[in-house]
This record gives sequence, structure tokens and C-alpha cells, in this order.
Amino acid sequence: MRIYNAYIVSLILAAGLVNAILASLGQSELEVYFIINIVVYLVITLLYTYFNPRARRTLNTIGIVLSAGFIVIVALKVVEILSG
Amino acid sequence: MCLAGAIFAPISYFIIDSVPLTAVGISTIIIGFTCIALANARPYISPEACEMILRTGMENTTALLEELGLRNRAIYLPSTMRDGHPQAIIPLTEDGEIQRVKAKIPGRLIVRYGANPEDMAIAVTTPGSINIDMLETRPGPTSGDIEAAATYLLSGVLDIASSVSVKLADNKIDVQVNGAKLHYEDIWYYRCLGSPIASMVAAISSEALQKPVRITDESYDRGKSRITLEVLS
Repeated sequence: MRIYNAYIVSLILAAGLVNAILASLGQSELEVYFIINIVVYLVITLLYTYFNPRARRTLNTIGIVLSAGFIVIVALKVVEILSG
Repeated sequence: MCLAGAIFAPISYFIIDSVPLTAVGISTIIIGFTCIALANARPYISPEACEMILRTGMENTTALLEELGLRNRAIYLPSTMRDGHPQAIIPLTEDGEIQRVKAKIPGRLIVRYGANPEDMAIAVTTPGSINIDMLETRPGPTSGDIEAAATYLLSGVLDIASSVSVKLADNKIDVQVNGAKLHYEDIWYYRCLGSPIASMVAAISSEALQKPVRITDESYDRGKSRITLEVLS
């Protein structure tokens, strides 16, 4: 399970680092944390290209769900800006 | 992990009123779901059952090799030379001119690979032959493509090595497999067909280059397996 362990450890470190950096910058918008966490998740998942097909399929499903959340947040922000 | 995140996130948001801690909770939920997804993606068959099946096949092939007294190194053939299914042939004569393997070989156990009467061999299916089917596309004829295909199979699908590096020069391929779990042993089967890892690398290389390939050397030292392949013809 070494490649899978490396992937999970990478996700944990990246998420911890992103959250720590944003907190140290004084970010108080939860949407920003959420969006950057999703982007980091998708990038790291893309970097691990050697998973078996079943693992890749399930990770793609999670990626689609997270992307949908990302789109919803962006859409809400756009509506908020347009409505003034 | 999911549950911890699901409890921690609302507590952080509504009670502690901390956005960074809420973000930590959300990250925990995402990673928790990822762990569950990966755990469910593991194969149903236990490693012990897989080892039993592998050993059974190996014992049967070893019995055949011992009965025929074959000590020659196997030649791995691409699928185009063996009815669409990659296999390895073991020449019956020790001083056979291996470079003659060029034409398509019939799908039988005992096959003729050259024009001379002594150019006879037995054709066997190896671990590498079976695993080629797990590749989504046929690898290209470059060292990068062979390395990517070998890494995908050995690290991603089978999880029996941590990384693979391939150097291709003229008719020689040097492969280093780091963190190899199945290493070389000095037994009859391995002397003829190579270890399962070498067999897979040879089958991938043969399929990528569309040429017969033979394992010329294999060594194992502190988790690193070094395999040298010779590209024939």
C-alpha cells in the first residue's frame, strides 16, 4: 500500500499547510478555505496517475462531487456580486 | 476520520466560531472519504489466496521444466507473435540461435521458432503475460513509456514495488525496481523465466518494442532489484 500511503500523507500535509497559511494570512472566508482545499485535492489526485483503475474511478467520483461543490460556491458568489 | 471531521466542523463553526478550525474539519471529511474510497478499491481476493494461485502455477511449470531438463533462459514474445496473447518460449536446445525468432509462432505448447529441426521450444504463460492485459494501452517503444507502464503495473495495480527506472540503449534494457517485494531466488523456475517482477518487465518491454526479449541478468540487493534484458533481432 505504499503508493496509497504516500497519496494520503500528501493530502494530509497539503491540507494542513494550506489551512495554516490561509489562517496565518488572516483569511476569514470559509468559502476560500473550501475552494483552495478542493483545488489542492484535485491537483494531488492528478499527480498520482499510477493507481489501479478501481481506485481511480472512486477518486474521480469524489473529485466530481467536490468540483460540484466548487461550482456551487462560485455560482453563489457570482449571484451575490451581480445582485449587489 | 469522516466522523471526527463531521463532528469537529460544526462545533468549530457554531460554538468555537473559528473559520480555520472549521476548514480543518472539512479537510478531514474530504480525506476521510478518500481513505474509505481507497480501502473499498482493494481487491476482494486476499494476498494469501493470490500467493497460493501464483505458487501453484509456478510449481506446475517448474515440474514441466525439470522433467524436460530445460535450463535455457526464456524468450518473451509480444502478443503479435503469439495469437494476440504474449507468452514466453523456452528453447529445447542450449546452443540454439535465438536471433532467428522472427515469424509468428503457433499457439501450442511445443512450437517451432526457426527453420532448422532443432529450433524447437515450449511456450508457457508467465506472470508478465497475464499482467499485460491490465494495461489500458500498449506502451510505446521508448524507455519513458516502458517505465510508465511498469510503474503503473508494479506500483499502482499490483503494489509489489515502490518505483521503477528504465534505461534503454541499443539492444539492452537496464531496469531498476526499488522496494521490490518479490525478489529473485535461485530456483529452477526463476533461472528459466525470471522472477515474477522480471517477467512482468520483460513482457512489457517485449510488447512495447514489438520484439522478442530475454532476461540476461537479475540481482537483488537491499530492496533494489536490477534486471538486464536483451532485445533480440
